[in-house]
Amino acid sequence: MTSVPIVETRGLVKRYDDQLAVAGIDLVVGPGEIYGLVGPNGAGKTTTMKILATLLAPTSGEAFVTGIPVAADPIEVRRRIGYMPDFYGVYDDLRVWEYLDFFARCYEVPARRRPAMIGELLEIVGLTDKRDAYVEALSRGMRQRLCLAHTLVHDPALLILDEPASGLDPRARVEMREILRELRGMGKTILVSSHILPELGEMCTGVAIIDHGRVLRAGSIQEIERSLRASALLRIDIVGDDAALTAAADWLGTDQRISDVLRVQGSDGAARLEAAFDGTPADQAMLLRGMIEAGHTVASFTQATSDLEEIFLKVTGQAVEEEAA
Amino acid sequence: MTAAPAILGTPRRSAPREFIAAVATIMIKELRSRMRGRRAFILLTIYLGLLALIAYGVYLITAPNVDNGFNGSANASALVGQAIFMTLSIFQLILICFIAPAATAGQISLEREKQTLDLLISTPMRPGAIVIGKLAAALAYVVLMIVAAVPITAIVLMYGGATVGDIVRQQVVLLAVALGLGAVGLFYSALLKRTQAATVLTYITVLALTLGTAAIFTFWTIFANQDNGGFGIVQGERAPEQLLYVNPGVAMLDVISNTESDPFGGLTRLLAEMRGEAIDLPFEPGIDGGGAVECDALGCRPVGGVDAPAEVAGAATGYWWTRVSLTFVGLAIILTIASMRLVVPAGMRGNPFRRSRRFAVAGGLPEVGTIDDLTINDVQGEER
Repeated sequence: MTSVPIVETRGLVKRYDDQLAVAGIDLVVGPGEIYGLVGPNGAGKTTTMKILATLLAPTSGEAFVTGIPVAADPIEVRRRIGYMPDFYGVYDDLRVWEYLDFFARCYEVPARRRPAMIGELLEIVGLTDKRDAYVEALSRGMRQRLCLAHTLVHDPALLILDEPASGLDPRARVEMREILRELRGMGKTILVSSHILPELGEMCTGVAIIDHGRVLRAGSIQEIERSLRASALLRIDIVGDDAALTAAADWLGTDQRISDVLRVQGSDGAARLEAAFDGTPADQAMLLRGMIEAGHTVASFTQATSDLEEIFLKVTGQAVEEEAA
Repeated sequence: MTAAPAILGTPRRSAPREFIAAVATIMIKELRSRMRGRRAFILLTIYLGLLALIAYGVYLITAPNVDNGFNGSANASALVGQAIFMTLSIFQLILICFIAPAATAGQISLEREKQTLDLLISTPMRPGAIVIGKLAAALAYVVLMIVAAVPITAIVLMYGGATVGDIVRQQVVLLAVALGLGAVGLFYSALLKRTQAATVLTYITVLALTLGTAAIFTFWTIFANQDNGGFGIVQGERAPEQLLYVNPGVAMLDVISNTESDPFGGLTRLLAEMRGEAIDLPFEPGIDGGGAVECDALGCRPVGGVDAPAEVAGAATGYWWTRVSLTFVGLAIILTIASMRLVVPAGMRGNPFRRSRRFAVAGGLPEVGTIDDLTINDVQGEER
C-alpha cells in the first residue's frame, strides 16, 4: 500500500478555447516528497495545480490525489489537500486567528481542537505575536505565511503551493524555504511550483521541468543534470590565426556527436569555439586527443559548468528548437 | 506513507447538521467583518431615528386636519394611525428596495475581485452553504432594520386604524421583498466578475420590477381599452395581472388598503380593478374621509370606535400581498440555486447540497488503495 502515490496524473490536457495550456502531463509524486514544478510563466504549472486543487476540470486525462479521482470526487480530494494559489487575496477585515478559525470551520475541524491548532500553526509560520492583529496590517511575507498556515488547518496529506516565494524579499524566501523543510519533516507531501529552478533545487526530492504544457524532464535534480551533461557545451581555444580556427571548426563539424559549432567572441576579444557535444566525459577525452592528433593547436578544452539556471535554460531552449525543427 | 489526517477518523455529522454548520461558518465570518465597530449600529440608529421623525411629521400634518370635530372625532385618531402606517410602510419598502440588493450585489464578485474565492472553493465547503451563508449574512442586517422598526410602526396601535395583523402583513411583505431582491443581487454577483456591473444590473432589475411592471401594466391596459368608451378597465381588457406579482409596491398597497376606513376606498377599489373585479357599491359611502362601515343585506352603517378597523367582509384586500410575497420567495429560491451553480468552477458542477461519494469512509488512506487497485498497479509501470 505504500505505493499509492500522493499525486498522479495521466495524460492531463487542458485546453482554453484555442490555446493548449497543458498538453499531456504525467506526474507521479510519492509520499513525503517535495516535488517541484519548474517552468517559465505560462508553462502550465498553475493550470496543472488548479486541476489538482479541483478548481479546474481537465479537458482530458486523469488526475488522482491519494488515489482519489479529482474530477469524480472533488470534495474528498479537498479534504486531503491544502492549496495556496499564485495570486490570492486575504480577508482584510478579519483578525489573524479569526482567519484561521474560519478556514478551520470550512474544513470541519471540531471546535475543541481549533484553538490549540491555531496556536500551533501560528508558531510554525512565525506569526504567534500577530494572533490578534488584523490581516490587513500584515506585510506581504506575513500574508504569504498566513496563507500557508491556512492550507494546514485540516492536516492535509498534500500541500499544493503555487509560487509560494513569489514577490518575497530574499530573507522572506529563506524563511519560506525553512518552513517548507519543517513541513516535510512533519511528513507532508508538497507540490511546489516556481519559475526559478535554483530556488527549488536545494530542497526538492524531485523536479519536473515544464514548458508549453509538457514535461520536458523529470526526476531528481542530479538525474536531470546528468542527463543534460550528455550534451555538454565545450569551450575550445585554438592558438593561431583565423584560418586555424576555421580548420578546427570544420574538423569538429565532421564529428557525429557534435550538433553545433559556434564561433564566439570571448570577453578578452579573442575568438573561440563553442560546440554542443553529445557524449560521456570519456568521449570528450577521445575527442580532445583526436583534435590534437589532427594537428589542431588546442590551447584549452573545457566543459562549460552548468548551474541550475543553465540547466533550466537549456532544457526549455531545447524544447523551443525541437518545436522549430 | 503519511498518517491519515486525523479529521477523517472522526465520525461525520449528519448531512443537514453539517450543512447548517457550514452556513453558520460563512455567516460568522461575514458578520465578524460587517458588524465590527460602530458603523452598523450608527446606521441602524440613524434609520430608526428617521422613521420616528417621519411618523411624528405625519402626525403633525394629519392631526389638525382630521380633528376638526366635523366627522366625529371618534375616528380622528384612527385616521392619524392609518396615515402613519401608510407612510412608514411605503418609506420602509422603498428603502428596503435600495438596501437589500446593495447588501448582496458584491457578495460573490468581491470575493472574485479580491481573489479570495479560490481559497474558499478549494475547501470542502458546499457551494450551497457558501451562497446561502452569504445571502443570510447580508440579509441579517436588512432583517434587523426591518424588525427593529416594528416598535416604531407599533405606535399606530395607540392611535388605532391599523391592527397587529396589518403590521404582521407589512412585515411579511418587507421580509419577502428583502429576500427576493437580496437574491437578485446575489445572483448578479455570482454571474458577473465585477461588482460594479453586478450592482448596476441589480438596480436596473429592481427598477424593472417596480416602476417597469407598473408602467407596462398601465400602458398595456390603456392601449387595450382605447376604444371602449371610457368604461374603465373592469369592463374592458386588462394586462395580465401576473405582471404585478413581482411588484413590491402592489403588495404594500394591498396591505395598506386593508387599513382604509372605507371598504370601497380609493386603494381598495384600485387594487380590485387591477384584478378585474368590480366592487358594486351599495351606496356612495360616507362623506369624504368617513368612518369605518359595516355592510350586510340591510346596507352599510358606520361602526364606531377606534378599535374596529375596516376589516369588512368583501373587502378586496388579501389578494395581492400573498401572491407577491410568494412570488418573491420563489424568486429567491430559484436565484439562490442558480447562484450555487455559478459559484462552482465549470465542469465541477455536481449537486450543490449533496455530500460527495465516499471513497474513504473513516479509515483514511489505506482504504483508498484497496478501492482503486488499478491505480496502484498502473503506477509502477509509469515511472519514467
